[in-house]
Amino acid sequence: MQEALPYKTWTSSYSSHEGTSSTSAMKAPTKEDELKKMVSQNAVIVFGKRGCCMIHVVTRLLHGQGVNPAVYEIDEKDENDVVGQLKKLDAGKDDELQLPAVFIGGQLFGGLDRIMATHISGELIPVLKQARALWL
Amino acid sequence: MNSSHTQYISARDMGVYEPINQLSMFADFDENGWPDTSPSLLVEVDTKLDNQSEDTSHETAGDSIKYEETNKRVDKVLRRLAQNREAARKSRLRKKAYVQQLESSRLKLMQLEQELDRSRHQGTYIGGAIDSGPPGCSATMNSGIASFVLEYGNWVEKQDRQICELRNAINADLPDEKLRVLVNDGMAHYSDLFRMKAKAAKADVFYLMSGMWKTSAERFLLWIGGFRPSELLKVLLPHLDLLEQQCSDVYNLIQSCQQAEDAISQGMDKLQQSLVDAVAAGLLGGGSYIPQVANAVEKLKPLVSFIDQADHIRKEILQQMYRTLTTRQAARGLLALGEYFQRLRSLSSLWATRPREPA
Repeated sequence: MQEALPYKTWTSSYSSHEGTSSTSAMKAPTKEDELKKMVSQNAVIVFGKRGCCMIHVVTRLLHGQGVNPAVYEIDEKDENDVVGQLKKLDAGKDDELQLPAVFIGGQLFGGLDRIMATHISGELIPVLKQARALWL
Repeated sequence: MNSSHTQYISARDMGVYEPINQLSMFADFDENGWPDTSPSLLVEVDTKLDNQSEDTSHETAGDSIKYEETNKRVDKVLRRLAQNREAARKSRLRKKAYVQQLESSRLKLMQLEQELDRSRHQGTYIGGAIDSGPPGCSATMNSGIASFVLEYGNWVEKQDRQICELRNAINADLPDEKLRVLVNDGMAHYSDLFRMKAKAAKADVFYLMSGMWKTSAERFLLWIGGFRPSELLKVLLPHLDLLEQQCSDVYNLIQSCQQAEDAISQGMDKLQQSLVDAVAAGLLGGGSYIPQVANAVEKLKPLVSFIDQADHIRKEILQQMYRTLTTRQAARGLLALGEYFQRLRSLSSLWATRPREPA
């Protein structure tokens, strides 16, 4: 059973890897694994640009529901890379991944639009419950 | 004194500048760039040339000098012609710019007159579009906003018509199928409004945030460029005749709505704070503040997203109500909503035209 994680913020810090052997020659594998781990280990995680006020909107809304989302702030220079990797984590969808992006239960749930829409229609709470993000 | 004949032909009549040997046909231009009828300098030069050829006093030794002097005069004439061409070209460009300005001003004037007509006709007060900005506000509206204001005027008119139809239909106790059509029309009409607003937000987000396209009372109650959804729900609630099983859904909706509004408002507060910080960075730094202000421009960019989100919430609330209510309830709800806004507009007009005590 997952515990509610304390409010943590990770910052993306790229360290350059010279000559690392990897199957995918383009990206540093460590970063990809790091992202994968975070998405799978956190019931709810919000990815967004550093300093973006929309992250605050999402987290405020989730806090209001009793959820403690993890937050991963992306530096501007890393934005394209991280977005690309997040898209890979979300199998099947080819649409643009908008930031801020919310992963619930290891799956990409959507952006602020979807969070708002499902919150208003009442569909968000069951999804959160199912992901063990909250329980009542 | 003018022995040689110079014809006055305006440059306009000649499509093209004639070659040098027709120098006698050029007219000069006055300072405004319009061709004028005063005798041209050319005439004098022309006369001089003529006189020169008749002058016999410096015949022999001065022949070559005469030749040189004639050349100089010809040069002067050539230069003068070139200057004239340039002046005429500039004049044409100025005229073109002036005419274009006139045309667009005329268009704006027509639009404003239409609006005035409309608002006088209906007794409603379309603020902002004309003059009611705060003093010192340069009411330069870009064309995206100008067309939004016009479209919004039309939208309000259509809204009023729809409200009438709804009222008549409900009073006449029309069957659900007929009501459903009117309800769907009403919902589509609101969708139109949100679409218009999204376009306008891209044109000028500050204008939309200011609510200047709405009447003054509506502006007083403004929340992020529009109505506050939770306030509307609370207004509608007593008029819906809810069934038992609907009550908890609607109360949950009100609560979710408030939470969503709260989250957006907090985000806006953060945005404002970051903007203030960006603008105020390094005050008393001595003169140049370009980098701070340029940085602050970046801070403003998310504003469009905030309006989008606020409108998104408004849309979703309306949609959710549509899903939760019966046709009859939805019809009454839309009617109540429409009447509420009509009253607010009417309040704004009444307030604006109230008798004042003499100063």
